[in-house]
Amino acid sequence: MAILQANKIYKTYGNKFNKQEVLKGIDLTVEKGEFVGIMGASGSGKTTLLNVLSSIDRVTRGTIEIEGKEFTAMKEKQLAEFRKQHLGFIFQDYNLLDTLTVKENVLLPLSITGISKKDAHRKFEQVAGELGIYELKDKYPAEISGGQKQRTSAARAFVHDPGIIFADEPTGALDSKSASDLLNKLADMNQKHQATIVMVTHDPAAASYCSRVVFIRDGQVYTQLNKGEEARQSFLGDIIKTQGVLGGVQQ
Amino acid sequence: MSLNVIILRNLKKNIKNYYLYVFALVFGVALYFSFVTLKYDPSLDVMEGTIKGGAAIGASSVLLIAIVAIFLLYANTIFIKRRSKEIGLFQLIGLTKGRIFKLLSAENLILYFGSMVLGILAGFAGSRLILMILFKILDIEVAAKLRFSIEALQQTVIVFAAIYVLIMLMNYMFIKGQSILSLFRVNSTAEERVRKMPIREIIMGVLGIAFILGGYYISTQLFGGKFVDMAELMAAMIAILALVIIGTYLFYKGSVSFVFNLIRKRKKGYLSINEVLSLSSIMFRMKSNALLLTIITTVSALAIGLLSLSYISYYSAEAQARESSPQDFGYVNPEVKEQFTAALDQAGIKYEELYIPVFYTSVDAAQVMGKTVYQKDEDKQIHTAVISDSSLGNVDVKPGETRLMGLSGALKNFMPMKETGELGFWTAEGKVPMKLNGITSEAVMPYRFGGGSGVFVVDEADYQKLVKVSYPSSQKNVPTEYYGLNLKDRGQMKQAYEIYTAQESTGDKDHALRLTSFSQYEFEINQRTSMGMIMFIVGFLGLTFLITSGCILYFKQMDEGEEEKGGYTILRKLGFTQGDLLRGIQFKQLFNFGIPLIVGLFHSYFAVKSGWFLFGTEMLTPTVIVMVLYTVLYSIFGLLSVVYYKRVIRESL
Ligand SMILES: Nc1ncnc2c1ncn2[C@@H]1O[C@H](COP(=O)(O)OP(=O)(O)OP(=O)(O)O)[C@@H](O)[C@H]1O
Ligand SMILES: [Mg+2]
Repeated sequence: MAILQANKIYKTYGNKFNKQEVLKGIDLTVEKGEFVGIMGASGSGKTTLLNVLSSIDRVTRGTIEIEGKEFTAMKEKQLAEFRKQHLGFIFQDYNLLDTLTVKENVLLPLSITGISKKDAHRKFEQVAGELGIYELKDKYPAEISGGQKQRTSAARAFVHDPGIIFADEPTGALDSKSASDLLNKLADMNQKHQATIVMVTHDPAAASYCSRVVFIRDGQVYTQLNKGEEARQSFLGDIIKTQGVLGGVQQ
Repeated sequence: MSLNVIILRNLKKNIKNYYLYVFALVFGVALYFSFVTLKYDPSLDVMEGTIKGGAAIGASSVLLIAIVAIFLLYANTIFIKRRSKEIGLFQLIGLTKGRIFKLLSAENLILYFGSMVLGILAGFAGSRLILMILFKILDIEVAAKLRFSIEALQQTVIVFAAIYVLIMLMNYMFIKGQSILSLFRVNSTAEERVRKMPIREIIMGVLGIAFILGGYYISTQLFGGKFVDMAELMAAMIAILALVIIGTYLFYKGSVSFVFNLIRKRKKGYLSINEVLSLSSIMFRMKSNALLLTIITTVSALAIGLLSLSYISYYSAEAQARESSPQDFGYVNPEVKEQFTAALDQAGIKYEELYIPVFYTSVDAAQVMGKTVYQKDEDKQIHTAVISDSSLGNVDVKPGETRLMGLSGALKNFMPMKETGELGFWTAEGKVPMKLNGITSEAVMPYRFGGGSGVFVVDEADYQKLVKVSYPSSQKNVPTEYYGLNLKDRGQMKQAYEIYTAQESTGDKDHALRLTSFSQYEFEINQRTSMGMIMFIVGFLGLTFLITSGCILYFKQMDEGEEEKGGYTILRKLGFTQGDLLRGIQFKQLFNFGIPLIVGLFHSYFAVKSGWFLFGTEMLTPTVIVMVLYTVLYSIFGLLSVVYYKRVIRESL
């Protein structure tokens, strides 16, 4: 069953006189339980795509359905409610609240679910332990490194077991060990909890964890690769090859 | 690129940041200039007779300078903080700190003196309005003419030039003391962390509360007889002020942050959206908040206290007039009285007449006086008038007993007395014991007869006995009889008063009549005019304090709102609705505006309570009116800040 379906979406930035069309008619379907990777050159519109798919930003044209409900026409309040309940985010620029400690940041999405303090604490111990940030729990974002922020941001995305996780360069600031830990965690969420994951990345190695990789170019879907029964190593090779064809920074 | 080009570019780019600063400046200058213009206004000399209006304004303008300076310095801190990133960038591209300082100073100079011109113009227009209000309060019928005062201009320019130097000094220290890195992240470091053992906080908090309570306690004792001479009284007042202010600071720094810490720790990192927006946001800035909240609280308390006291005296004008002359008109000299009543008869004004013969004596009150300023027994003597109960008509005193009528509120506080007990009336034949049975504050004789201590009323038979043996020397050069006149229809008061004044002006030139004839109406008018002036000045200051403290808080909230905008973006991305955020913000504003208001109300209540009787006869009603009004006006700023936040939240995604 398609959990997420985007039909011919367009996104234009700027005003009448200074238009920049970033997304030009993208069609994308994500099945429930899929782990989709999105790749493309810097500035190709990946973050923009993720934003509109996750209802943070509105499309200029086109429709997006999540679980059969079209949300391009939904009210702002309903959208917010939906994000709060069902979505998890790992943002490219971390998006942690300066005023909260690491632990408070991570537990933020839980506050609306109404689970008990004890359960929340247990949940935090588990997620933070897996991502190696438990020791940092009482620190403020200004006092931790970029990679630690990224892991905190990831912990926040996992903590309420969301149905769909949107991740924008979740491994961008991580060393290879922490990166593979995080990716394993994502894969784990995907397999054990049937969480649907949409991940933007530049890193072919990270993309090789996905079951499918979508390549974006000129605001359109350039091509897709399916992992199928392939081993990760050979899938990685395919990805690198495709990336080579795709080219670098776009004009 | 030359420095000048950079300055101009900066000015243009930062115009949005500047508007708040410019507003603060224009407002401060306008306020000060209009106030000083009043001081030099010739029409104020009209009131020279009652109270030196100009001098009073001069004294209060010092206070005004202080508050305006605090206000501007505060606006400047926000301003420079907002630009800290820019300053960091300049340093990064290789400008020296000295050069950056020069840049800022030059830029500020243009801005500062530009706003000053605007402020002076606004102040000039405003002073006319203020003058009109003043004349309205004082019931003076002079057209409020406007005169541009060069002296006021000079004074304003000097004061604000001095503040400019102060601001530059502050900027200099700010730039000097910052590293590039800290300039870049000046907004994101927490001032208050969740601590494990907040023992220091506990001690601080307990000390703070103890200080405040201590200050309150001393204030209730201030005029209770503990502090005997002026020096001690002064020392006590300063102690109260210091205790309460320091206590307030410690209270915010210790108790509030302790309580917050406790709540936050108990949440174990699991915060609701309301707490995220209120609790953690406030704690994040606790250090600078504590100082600011203390300032706001002090200023609010000061404003409420001053406004209450002046309103008390204005409000009490009628009661005080009644104390000065309990009857509508009073005469000591029967001939003058005859003239007056004849004129009243002629005008067809009906009245009731009261005749009260009096004699004077010393009364030994050592048995009934509690702890007073006077400690020796020979000091506990009341020298006052004695009258018979039959003269009053509606009062009956038993033989051997006496009642003290007309003990003023102020005196009651200075020398508390028991309602009943043994008194000794000194006579030529020794001390005659009398039983005190009741004290009332309602005056029956003009102030001139008993002073503030009132008069003793005795039974008619006792009066006749006592008057025969009274010291003849005590009865010399004082009025021994009194005629009181009450109009049947007080609606004719104005008419009667005209007759009274006409008579007074044709009477003796040596003002003897003034001391021997009394008009309640006249006392009331005089009280109103003299208090009106003070009330106006104090009211002006009070409103200024209100507006500045409200503005400071509002600016602070604007600043916080800008800083936290990113946070709102994140929260909204995560799915919190605008409504969720707004509820949290309302909660936070309840604290930010509510706590200083409540503490300030308490402070001012105790301040007013300690000395209100020096100003009037009624405390509760005028104080409550002032407090309610203050709260309403103050809340407007709170509401404005919520509206501002609403916009920030709406624009955050
Ligand atoms: N809010 C915005 N207003 C105007 N233009 C924008 C906005 N956000 C993005 N853009 C433009 O849209 C284009 C795509 O941006 P986007 O952030 O989606 O790229 P990206 O693929 O995520 O790049 P990267 O890999 O570097 O993160 C860019 O050219 C960018 O300049
Ligand atoms: Mg991006």
